[in-house]
Amino acid sequence: MIKKILLLVEVVILVFLVPYVSFAAGSFFEGKTIRIVVGFTPGGGFDTYSRALARHMGKYIPGNPYIIVENMPGAGSMIAANYVYKMAKPDSLTIGNVQGSIILDQVLGRKGIEYDVRKFEYVGIPVRQFLVVIFSKASGITSAEKWMASKTPVKIGTISGSSMTAFAKMLQRLTDLPVQPVEGYKGTYNVRLAVESGEVAGGVFGGRNTAFWSRALETGDMVAVMSTLPYPNNPNVPLINKFVKTEKDLQLFKTSNIDPDILAHLYLLPPGTPKEIVKIIREAFDKTMMDEEFLNEAKKANLEIGPINGEGVTKMVAELFKTPPSLVNELQEYYK
Amino acid sequence: MIETTQALIAGLSQIFAWSTFSMMLLGTLIGFWVGILPGLGGPAALALMLPFTITMSAYDTFAFLLSMTATGSVAGDITSILFGVPGESTTVAIILDGHAMAKKGEAGRALGAALMSSLVGAIFAAFFLAVAIPVVRPVILSFTSPEFLALAFLGITFVASLSGGALLKGMIAAGIGLLLSTVGLCEMSGLQRYTFDQLFLWDGIGLIPIAIGLFAVPETIDMAVHGSSIAQEEDGDLGGVMQGVKDTFIHFWLVMRCAAIATFCSLLPGLGGTTSQWLAYAHAVQSSPNKERFGKGAVEGVLGPGSASNSLLGGHLVTTLAFGVPSGIMMAIIMGAFMMHGIALGPDMLLPTAKGGHLTLTYSFVWVIIVSNIITVGICFFFLKQIAKITEVRASLLISPIIVLVFLGAFAEKSAIEDVFLVLLFGGLGWLMVQFNWPRPPLILGLVLGTVAEDRLFISIQAYGGFGWLTRPIFLGILLLTLIGAFYPAFQAAREKRKKRETGNSASSASPRTDSDKKKFLTFGWATIFSLFIVGVLGYALWESRNFDFRTGLFPWAIGFPVLALAIIQLIMDLMGKKSGTSMDSMAEGYSGITKDVIHRRTTGAFGWILVLCLAIWLVGFVIAVPLYMFFHLKMGERKEGWLPTFILTTASWALVYGFFGRLMHLRFPEGVLLKWW
Repeated sequence: MIKKILLLVEVVILVFLVPYVSFAAGSFFEGKTIRIVVGFTPGGGFDTYSRALARHMGKYIPGNPYIIVENMPGAGSMIAANYVYKMAKPDSLTIGNVQGSIILDQVLGRKGIEYDVRKFEYVGIPVRQFLVVIFSKASGITSAEKWMASKTPVKIGTISGSSMTAFAKMLQRLTDLPVQPVEGYKGTYNVRLAVESGEVAGGVFGGRNTAFWSRALETGDMVAVMSTLPYPNNPNVPLINKFVKTEKDLQLFKTSNIDPDILAHLYLLPPGTPKEIVKIIREAFDKTMMDEEFLNEAKKANLEIGPINGEGVTKMVAELFKTPPSLVNELQEYYK
Repeated sequence: MIETTQALIAGLSQIFAWSTFSMMLLGTLIGFWVGILPGLGGPAALALMLPFTITMSAYDTFAFLLSMTATGSVAGDITSILFGVPGESTTVAIILDGHAMAKKGEAGRALGAALMSSLVGAIFAAFFLAVAIPVVRPVILSFTSPEFLALAFLGITFVASLSGGALLKGMIAAGIGLLLSTVGLCEMSGLQRYTFDQLFLWDGIGLIPIAIGLFAVPETIDMAVHGSSIAQEEDGDLGGVMQGVKDTFIHFWLVMRCAAIATFCSLLPGLGGTTSQWLAYAHAVQSSPNKERFGKGAVEGVLGPGSASNSLLGGHLVTTLAFGVPSGIMMAIIMGAFMMHGIALGPDMLLPTAKGGHLTLTYSFVWVIIVSNIITVGICFFFLKQIAKITEVRASLLISPIIVLVFLGAFAEKSAIEDVFLVLLFGGLGWLMVQFNWPRPPLILGLVLGTVAEDRLFISIQAYGGFGWLTRPIFLGILLLTLIGAFYPAFQAAREKRKKRETGNSASSASPRTDSDKKKFLTFGWATIFSLFIVGVLGYALWESRNFDFRTGLFPWAIGFPVLALAIIQLIMDLMGKKSGTSMDSMAEGYSGITKDVIHRRTTGAFGWILVLCLAIWLVGFVIAVPLYMFFHLKMGERKEGWLPTFILTTASWALVYGFFGRLMHLRFPEGVLLKWW
């Protein structure tokens, strides 16, 4: 009888201890596959960062799991965000890669949201995205002064439904710059062609995604005229702050574009993921961001790296939710 | 000049390097299978293969990816011709005449024609790539939004005009397609259009489930009703393959023109493959002296799209390489590959390697396209006779695998179970359209071009201030072309009618055959009810849009009201008993030799089985539903199969779903509603 009880106790101890033991020993991930669920189609910026990450992060996770990338595009990565959020059993093997705009979507109360961004466990971001307004030399707008001095509204192309469109509209209404937003372009490439063909004078672009014009920017055929964060290629480009008239307006820009853009490439874990796992993944992410091979590959592929870690991201997300309701209401006008 | 020649030769020798060549062979092999499987398309396969290419050199990577893309459409043609199931979204047009030929027992000839015209198209594309990059830039830049809008209308009108005798129905179908393209989030206003709160519909209805549903399902049901085999006539000489090859050269200039059309379309971002195959088909029809042959197995209807679908790479690559602007999803993926290898696209692609450019690489692409196509076509020719023999296998064995592949293909695109239901829905619609002689191609084209049209309409209004763009020269030129293309055939038809009347031929109203042949087991009343249904759907769509603001509603209203008016006219015509002419898209001759009862039973049976599979997938998930369905359908279907074929097919289907799609391709199958409750 005693033997049986002892046996039972041993079994119970083992059953409860083994998971902890394996965490400690790191064999939880051994032989497993982690998948990064990317909210966009393959071949795009998000996908490329994730695939680079997948190739190098595994070695920093105890057990060296294999990491693959899955694409789950749709609704500006909202579908992927919903999916990762609702994972019935956080299996600790899924990392979501979604766009920072999903935070803004929740702040603005958009339909279709099934997540609460404050409950995600954030892993980090690899780079701070921002916006830059670039004009063609042919348009004649080669500086902010020339822009301000233009007698007619200047046509600026933007991607439909994106924060870039909201940005252009906000420029039009909140600054003295003469702006005529032209939206309807499906992607960066279409805006680019429109600028080159003269259909529009300039466009709003992701500051880290202008490699296609690197030569044109050097020769001056294309000119960056304003940005939301300092533009690495040209520190003389004025910031949006220079053109904003009130603190409140600046806060609008900050909530709508500056902060969500910084968080553009979000990596996150489902709510309820065990603390130890979150810690392991965060550390692996941070280490990968400093890994030499990863950085080399990123450089070759024109992927800039300037990370913020998981805790930093969590703080920024919380900040965004402190936006006063009056500001939120005003913002909604630009996202109509 | 010397540098060019040097690069050309260097490019050629590069691809014969052992590693590059073997990668090309591998890509060809994979591309072939991807193309053959319906729905599973180039983009999905490319994306899946991308990670594997990291460790390869640049030459090897692109040899692999390009050969995969190049051979995909050739293989897709095979599926389309043999089964009437679109192998790729760019191989739908070839079904109209290609599959009709297969049913006539001319599968070999159709395949030969498709393969040979594909090869010619590919070579055209390769040469275009070789010479056009330097000169193409100003051409692309002169096509701004108004021109795109005009091209979109050109595409739709051309195809609607294909409807021949059923022009009204064709235009209504195009209108329905255009309205379908508005489903989803209107990005400009953030308003949902027709999404019924389904997140899955936010990005609109996918082309693949619609194309598969509209074309594959009616064809499969047709096969089930006939009960025999795909080839319903014995042509005897399956060596018609050589005839198909000869046909390519008899109609050489048609093949070249269609290749040119496709190359041009693929140059412009957004217009690509789906549009060009139909334009090529339309051109083949327009340029032929006997238009009535089309839709019933005219070889030109195979040559045009066959050549077109394979010359897309030319235009795509030029735009992508010269500009770094991906002209389609596949090019976007290939650009990702370039990025991963640290190659920046643009003018550098034309600079000789000595000066730090990638000219040799660019020319190696030219050779990859040519050589991989030659390899594919060459190998196919060896097996064509065997491949064509599938059309002689009895339908009962083929139907279940085809349906399974159809649903798998639809699902695989977005990993969304809802796509399976969409196939069911559009399958039903497609079948009804065929029964009542409504052409399907305009619907597809409306769907594809609707988004382009709407976006470009808005950009035009914003960028050119109101309607100033209406006077742009290129825009007007394209518009003129459109009007000619649209009205010329109607004009011709009217002239011929007048001639017939003058020569005293007795009246057969507008149709060459009366509807009694095509009635099958349906009474006169059903056609009217279907028209009523269409009117109802259109009316509902307009009603739903009453709350749209100007931006959201402009396009739906601009399309919806005129199309509703046309639909009402059609309804009135049906009520008055006026029969419309036949369109290119009517399926072959009626069911001779089969009684109405049998037709009834087999059709209901076929639908029933498809419904059962759908339900099973929903309840217990793909992995269980598919083998179960195979087993029961083979054993309990119209014709009961023996144990051996049943066992083989059931096991094979399980292996395909679980092994290939599930494990190898990491496709995530939803669990099945019943299983979730366990």
